[in-house]
Amino acid sequence: MDTLVARYSRPAAQRETFADDQHDDLHDDTTNSMSLKFAIPPIAQPSAWLRAATDDRANPQCPIKIAHGTTTLAFRFQGGIIVATDSRATAGNWIASQTVKKVIEINNCLLGTMAGGAADCQYWLAWLGMQCRLHELRHKRRISVAAASKILANLVYQYKGMGLSMGTMCAGVTKEEGPALYYIDSDGTRLAGNLFCVGSGQTFAYGVLDAEYRYDLSEEEALALGSRSILAATHRDAYSGGFINLYHVKEDGWVKHGFSDTNPIFWKTKLESGEFTNVTSDFVGERV
Amino acid sequence: MDHRPQHWGRPRDDVYGAYDASYMRPNGPTTHTQSPVVTGTSVVALKFKDGVVIAADNLASYGSLARFPDVKRLRTFAGTSVVGFGGDVSDMQYLDRHLQELAIDENYTSEKGHTLNARNLHKYLANLLYHRRSKFDPLWNHLLVAGLDEDDKPFLAAADLLGTTFTSPSLATGYGEMLAQPIMRRYAKDEEAAAQLTRDQAVDIVKECMKVLFYRDARSLDTYSIAVVTKQGIDLKEDVKLENQSWAFADRIKGYGTQTV
Amino acid sequence: MAMFSQNPVLNGPNYSFADVPVQDHVDGFREHRFNPYTDNGGSTLAIAGKDFAIMAGDTRLTAGYSINTRFSPKVFKIGGSTSTQDDANILLSVVGFAADGEALKERLDSICKMYRYRHNKPMSVSACAKRLSTIMYQRRFFPYYVYAILGGLDEDGAGAVYSYDPVGSYEREQCRAGGAAASLIMPFLDNQVNFKNQYIPGSGVGHALQERERQPLPRDEVEVLVKDAFDSAVERHIEVGDGLQMMIITQNGIEEKILPLKKD
Repeated sequence: MDTLVARYSRPAAQRETFADDQHDDLHDDTTNSMSLKFAIPPIAQPSAWLRAATDDRANPQCPIKIAHGTTTLAFRFQGGIIVATDSRATAGNWIASQTVKKVIEINNCLLGTMAGGAADCQYWLAWLGMQCRLHELRHKRRISVAAASKILANLVYQYKGMGLSMGTMCAGVTKEEGPALYYIDSDGTRLAGNLFCVGSGQTFAYGVLDAEYRYDLSEEEALALGSRSILAATHRDAYSGGFINLYHVKEDGWVKHGFSDTNPIFWKTKLESGEFTNVTSDFVGERV
Repeated sequence: MDHRPQHWGRPRDDVYGAYDASYMRPNGPTTHTQSPVVTGTSVVALKFKDGVVIAADNLASYGSLARFPDVKRLRTFAGTSVVGFGGDVSDMQYLDRHLQELAIDENYTSEKGHTLNARNLHKYLANLLYHRRSKFDPLWNHLLVAGLDEDDKPFLAAADLLGTTFTSPSLATGYGEMLAQPIMRRYAKDEEAAAQLTRDQAVDIVKECMKVLFYRDARSLDTYSIAVVTKQGIDLKEDVKLENQSWAFADRIKGYGTQTV
Repeated sequence: MAMFSQNPVLNGPNYSFADVPVQDHVDGFREHRFNPYTDNGGSTLAIAGKDFAIMAGDTRLTAGYSINTRFSPKVFKIGGSTSTQDDANILLSVVGFAADGEALKERLDSICKMYRYRHNKPMSVSACAKRLSTIMYQRRFFPYYVYAILGGLDEDGAGAVYSYDPVGSYEREQCRAGGAAASLIMPFLDNQVNFKNQYIPGSGVGHALQERERQPLPRDEVEVLVKDAFDSAVERHIEVGDGLQMMIITQNGIEEKILPLKKD
């Protein structure tokens, strides 16, 4: 009967469908939550449209405000790699969070840092973690930092022009490479180097880091330098602040060295080491 | 990479060209974007003790022209629910065709007649509208669904061209939202108050709303359709005239048109 | 900052002003002038405690200056085995564009239901949090205009709150406010939940003052805090009001409370 009806009934209206992605979730067993299938607005210039909807710099009234991250640094030294970041996320002038974890633990011996769009960094570094694990399973050995960073750089290059925004560093230590540090950004740039600072506070961090940096720093000195550089950036850059997140990457994996509030550290640095003399220690400032 | 955070996540002018604000203009059924051409104005609806009253006038406007004065904007579904359409008339007719087909399909495929109650129908229409907006091909309607839910309680909900849905003891679209909703809220400020209303009271309130709308909405008409949905079925009247109009208030309005004093 | 911008229109210092003259259309033509988004107002709030989490939202739904309805809940139970969600273990609140919020909720719910069906156990909150992030990121180029907060109890039975931006970056937090009145409520929570800028009186002079130690708040206190936060927000924000929906998740399940807010 149904087939008979189907034969003689003509659709009075076009076939209305519902979102494909919903069906995938329910019916496709192999649906991978990290697949590269993204919804794209079905219009002529999707990226111009996306920009109009999300660019809160050009149009502060734009509806969607995406969270952004800020000062990050990483440098190589004889004992491995130090990775340090602040923890502030801003959406326009609004401080969306003061407790962002901008060091992303890709796996137990690879770290990534987050500057730019928070979601972009989180998602793609998690995706990179997946690729690294697959590499391990396929080749029965850990992936090199060079290879891992290249996977990421190639990926973001594919999406160039779509509006991704990330400035990330991949830090890891392997037997073959020793401590290895790469900078990757959303333009597709990939650079190997000893020392990088990324973000709006980068200039302030570079100032401190370049002045004190030596390859043969002791572990203690290196950690202190990383922390001090971020402190300088949080002091001078309004988009940086919150907590200092400090990591040390060694050959057998990374070690976390705290997530510490900048305010007490600032006063400690000022009062005990006599730095930051531009700030009076009295709460009542001098008046002119 | 641009290292200034206020630029992050935001496409660069040198890559994308300058920011084009025209994408983000506010919208509503009056905006002439993929332009609705022939349009219907408000739909008003109110719940009462054992059902829902819904009404819409019979006019389809072409801009400011009262083009078609005999267009029925209340459509019944499966003899159990009524859908009131505001906005584009061609999209309304498309949806109506689609719903007819859905009703026929349902009748064939389900064992004991219709299984879609007003809540199901509303969900279906909302999903359809949302999917169309996601395709950037919206159906330019704001619609109200009136009927009974699975427990035979009165059900009334709205869905608009973006797929936004909401429910309330009284609902109105278009100008009705400004003019009729305050009147209805006076009698049915919450579900409990609406559950106290009798059928006659509810019908009177809705008729009063239609009158107020005719007084002030320039795209409205004094002929309208009104439907009462209860467990007993739908009582739809399609050519009702407004009664007891009083234009005495018009005398006191100053400052418009050719008036000089 | 904009002094160094590559954009010629931006030269010269600027602060919180719009720095590009907002202009319509630039070059070429565009066929679509349909804006698929709208803002339906409202505000949400979530606080995690030692053995509970509270999710709250006002129930007003607005479009521009008009109130569509006074009762449209923003907090949903997720991942129960039936549509009544009696055995749900996760809460989701969405605020922003209501239709996107609804779509996101339906999507997460069906995924959690499928998970329960396939694995014969409910999804953990941390797994659900990650999954929600990837769902939102799938729409990176056509975002859900939604500020979502996910709440529940973690593996140790402690309250967990995860907050999201519209494209899926997320973070576990003690408390979070989202939506229209986020900027009114969040500073209050910083002070009252995380004891920001609270010092122990007499513990020192100036910056030697000791910070008040953070401790998880008891449930009754948090409930009062939530109500106070919303009462204050209603006072100063037009898109917030009508009703307060509060969902409290504990070991014993989810309780829902609806409290009145000002309706003006």
